[in-house]
Amino acid sequence: MKIRSITLTNVRRFTGSARVEGIGDGLNVLCEPNEHGKSTLFDAIQALFFKPYGSRDKEVSALRPHAGGAPEVTVAIETGEGHFSVAKRWLQKPAATVHRNGTLIAQADAAEAWIADLLGGDATGPSGLIWVRQGMTDLTGGSRKEQDAALAARRDLMTSVGEEVEAMTGGRRMDMALARCRDELAGYATGTGRPKTNGPWKEAQEHVETLTARRDTLAATAHDLQEALSDRNRARRDLRELDAPEAAEDRRIRLERARAAHAEALRHAEDVETEARKVEMARLTAERAVTRLETFREALAEKTTARDEAATAEVQAKAGQAALDAQRETRDAAEAALGAARHDLKAAERDHELALRATAARDGATRRRELEDRIAKAETTRSAMETAAAAARSGPDAGTLRRLEALAAAHATAIAARDATATQVIARYAAGRDGAIRAGDAALAEGHPLPLARATRLTIEGVGELEVRPGEAGHDDSSVEAAAQTLHAALKEAGADDLDTARASAAARAEAERDHGEAKAVLHSLAPEGIERLRETLAKIPKPEEGLDAPDPEAAEAALESARAVHEDARIARDTVAERLADLRTEATRAETTLASLRDRVSRAEDALAKLGDSSGDDLSAQADAAATALRTAEMAHAEKAKDAPDLAGTQAALTRADSVESRAREEIARLKPHLARLDERISRSSGDAVEERLAETEQELEVARGALARIEHEVAVLIRLQKALESARNEARERYFTPIVTELKPLLHLLWPEAELTWGEESLLPDALIRNGQEEPIGILSGGTQEQVALLVRLAFARMLAASGRIAPVILDDALVFTDDDRIERMFDALHRQAGDLQIIVLTCRQRAFRGLGGNALRFSTVTADTATG
Amino acid sequence: MPLRFIHASDLHIGRKFANIPQPPDGNIRGRLMEARHGVIGKLAVAARDHGAAHVLLAGDTFDTATPSPAVIRQALAAMGEAGNVTWWLLPGNHDNLRDAEPLWEAIKRDAPGNVVALTQAAPHDMGGVATLLPCPVAVRSGASDPSEPLMTMASDAGRMRIGLAHGGVTDFTDTGAAIAPDRDRSAGLEYLALGDWHGRVAVSDRVQYSGSPEQDRFKHGRRGVCLCVALDGPGAPPRVDEAEIGAFLWSEVALPLHPRQDAAAALTAVLPATGRRDVLVRVAATGWAGLPDHADLQRAADRCAPDFAHFELVTEALGTQYETADLDEIDRHGALRLAANGLMDDAGSEALSQDEREVAADALARLYAYVREGAT
Repeated sequence: MKIRSITLTNVRRFTGSARVEGIGDGLNVLCEPNEHGKSTLFDAIQALFFKPYGSRDKEVSALRPHAGGAPEVTVAIETGEGHFSVAKRWLQKPAATVHRNGTLIAQADAAEAWIADLLGGDATGPSGLIWVRQGMTDLTGGSRKEQDAALAARRDLMTSVGEEVEAMTGGRRMDMALARCRDELAGYATGTGRPKTNGPWKEAQEHVETLTARRDTLAATAHDLQEALSDRNRARRDLRELDAPEAAEDRRIRLERARAAHAEALRHAEDVETEARKVEMARLTAERAVTRLETFREALAEKTTARDEAATAEVQAKAGQAALDAQRETRDAAEAALGAARHDLKAAERDHELALRATAARDGATRRRELEDRIAKAETTRSAMETAAAAARSGPDAGTLRRLEALAAAHATAIAARDATATQVIARYAAGRDGAIRAGDAALAEGHPLPLARATRLTIEGVGELEVRPGEAGHDDSSVEAAAQTLHAALKEAGADDLDTARASAAARAEAERDHGEAKAVLHSLAPEGIERLRETLAKIPKPEEGLDAPDPEAAEAALESARAVHEDARIARDTVAERLADLRTEATRAETTLASLRDRVSRAEDALAKLGDSSGDDLSAQADAAATALRTAEMAHAEKAKDAPDLAGTQAALTRADSVESRAREEIARLKPHLARLDERISRSSGDAVEERLAETEQELEVARGALARIEHEVAVLIRLQKALESARNEARERYFTPIVTELKPLLHLLWPEAELTWGEESLLPDALIRNGQEEPIGILSGGTQEQVALLVRLAFARMLAASGRIAPVILDDALVFTDDDRIERMFDALHRQAGDLQIIVLTCRQRAFRGLGGNALRFSTVTADTATG
Repeated sequence: MPLRFIHASDLHIGRKFANIPQPPDGNIRGRLMEARHGVIGKLAVAARDHGAAHVLLAGDTFDTATPSPAVIRQALAAMGEAGNVTWWLLPGNHDNLRDAEPLWEAIKRDAPGNVVALTQAAPHDMGGVATLLPCPVAVRSGASDPSEPLMTMASDAGRMRIGLAHGGVTDFTDTGAAIAPDRDRSAGLEYLALGDWHGRVAVSDRVQYSGSPEQDRFKHGRRGVCLCVALDGPGAPPRVDEAEIGAFLWSEVALPLHPRQDAAAALTAVLPATGRRDVLVRVAATGWAGLPDHADLQRAADRCAPDFAHFELVTEALGTQYETADLDEIDRHGALRLAANGLMDDAGSEALSQDEREVAADALARLYAYVREGAT
């Protein structure tokens, strides 16, 4: 569509009719001062295309002139289908018409539909995008509604600019589908995909959990009920078996029988016991009879034997007493001889003691002398050792001497080192003049160099003195002096004036140490345990006794030995007699004892016989035979009784078992009855609660709830999958969306800013930043001029894309470049011209001087007269 | 002298049907529960109409081992109100002797005089003309033929022998617990009334399952019945008539579809036109349908579901055939089409798991629905 002319009648200041005509392709410029109707023209064109002829809204009303009347707008347009005249009148006799080559082709609503179809939609359609109202210089300006409409238009533009771009964002349907999907998903899940609190998904989960818990509880109760029923059946069966009259009677009979059998067994056992006691009595009687008979016979024999033996023993006792008396006399004589020998032995021992003491006194004197001599030597040696020890503590020790030697060597080395670099004097004597040159008192040796560390005077015999000054170089004595000082300090510390003195002192010290060692060894050999110990030993040696008259030791010894022999012989003799006497005494005592014993045996035998009374041996024998017969009779009777005796332990065990059965039955019955009562109550309670019924119901509810949860989970999965598919597709489409826009916009941008680029907002589908010289600047912080320039360029790019799709829409700019400076405006003009090649651009401006350089087709308002009214 | 009696089983009184979804404004669970209780009255009516003095309940009269006191008392009271009928109650596996001991104690204690709890495998006289030989179930899962006692239970000479047992004639669990199908011959029975199977099955002329008089699953495709049995005398063949007494019809309907078929119309065609309030229906859609067909089918199902006592639409076996036109309806180009294509690829990808494919397919269907709803 291209606009060829615009006619306004009764529109604001144009109370008559005014027209702008001659609008051509490309760039058209209507440059008029303010208040000349440019914005009126803009609003009138918008009203024609986007305000229904029946509208009476404020924007339509605003078109009405102060003088009143029906505003009317007519636009001549050219499309691919031909030339048309579109007219609308509002407020009074409202009308809308479309003429083609003067022929009415649509009116009223049909005309509105024709216009809408021409624009490709309503006011928010793609053509509306190109209108730039005065003051709407930014891309996102206008009311919220206008912004939303613009956004929608941008999308629809994309869908209208060709196959490639159309396959892009999905437009409003995509927004709607995605919004529905997100809304429905938000009803179920949080943004992180978890069930939403109080949402149906969460409630379904909680419902399943609640039912599961209830089902488990009921299942446990049902299981408990089944257990109780089984338990009760067992208890009832047991109680029935135990408490049945026939069972009780059976137990009673069994118990009675066991008791009777045991009583019979007890009685029989008593009879057997009685017979056993009779046997025992008979056995005792028989044994007693035999014993009496044997006692009689033994006592009689004993009495006879003992009496004969007592007579013999009495004779032997008398002979023994006589031998004892004789031996006592012999013993008295031996005792006397022994007393004499003891007296003689004591005298010999005294003499021998005197002789020994005299001999010891003589031996002690020699020993004393030896000890006194050793003590004296030891004292001397100890004194010498102490002296040597004192000497060994003075003078340098071996280590000190080695250090001194080392320091002396260092000193000598330092001297040698100094002398090696010092000036040297070598004497070469003429014949006969040996020793003529002297240094101090010493003559210089032939050919031997004399180092001169310092100025030295040489005396040359017969010549005078020669002073040699070696100069400063090579005469460094510091090392020598340091070594000398160190040596001197060490000597001083060692107490020596020089090294030789030190060496002598060290030798003396070593000698003293050796002397001390030798003295110590000697002292140890003389008094290993010390001198005091020797003195103690000396004190213990007896001193000679004065006036002692001692016999000859050998004679005394012989006399003593003789006395001892005599004494020993006497003692032996006496002991022999004493032993014999003791033997005799023992024999006599034994004979007396034997005799007493025999007499006692006789007495006891007589007592035993007396106890048997007057019974004869035959009587006693007959009694024993009779008792033996009675015993055999009793034993036969006992055996006969014991042969048929019942098993008492067996009857006792049977009775115990029967008793146990009965008592256990009573106890079990006593336990089962209350147990059954408790089970009855438990079963009654559970069955009364209809637990199985509730369990079945809950299981069915749980099945339904799980199904519902599964459906919701499936629903959530479906929504998530759909949302993902839509978002993924839209992201892909956005990439495609921006490509043609960026391509179209790039050369326009570069007219103003070489290398500049725009970034685009994903939601707004608009530029959100300008990148210049590598710097990214958000659109919102750019200057007003830059913002309006970007906005205009973007619109031109959109218009170009629209034109490329075959839907050419005029770009109408109402003072769109308000803030742009002179330099930029020139480049914007270039942009407008560049885009105007296949577009129709209508620029409305009041900036006559600034827009003078724009060029293009100049437009003017003209008054419509009757002659031109049909133009 | 002929004998007439009613044979029924598996009343499962007290069942809560908590697995049936209940809409906030509905009471289907209560209605189903009430229908099971109402069976007692309907059996009494059937007995009266059939001239029967006995109602044989072949096990599982109660749904659980411990029904609530109200369930027990009200059921017994309803039986007591039919005073001209003797109710013979056999313990089944759900109300077996061991687990439901309190239940049977309560029945013995509280039951009216015309209700007999058959808790012993012992013969009972039926009006002097027949002997009832019950085989109560002792435990929930037995390992032997529960009709085995019939072999040794004696009866008076000249009287008809009526067996009453609970269990399957087919041993699905391989435990040896199946009832011998020829038990009537081996035990000399005139009739063997069986319970446990909820569907009506005539094993032979003399061995019959009545099925549950009030169905509870989408399996048998008809309302529950009771059997009106007439025996003219020893050896005479039984005459068995079915009396439909079930209130609810549990119906599973197959809905085969193909692409571009009017799914809504196809659904309407397979649904019953009348009596929907007492019908629980499960529509099992199979075949293939396009994205709009899926949406249309779901909308049609949502529209007609409130007509029924319960309505389920099962689409697991209904594949989705993606037509280019369907995807074009989402968008011919652009991001939406990219998303749709990606989801369609995933829905058919062999590299993904079944769950992932289903998620992708449902996501695509959802996108289609969003776009369509947005367009209207």
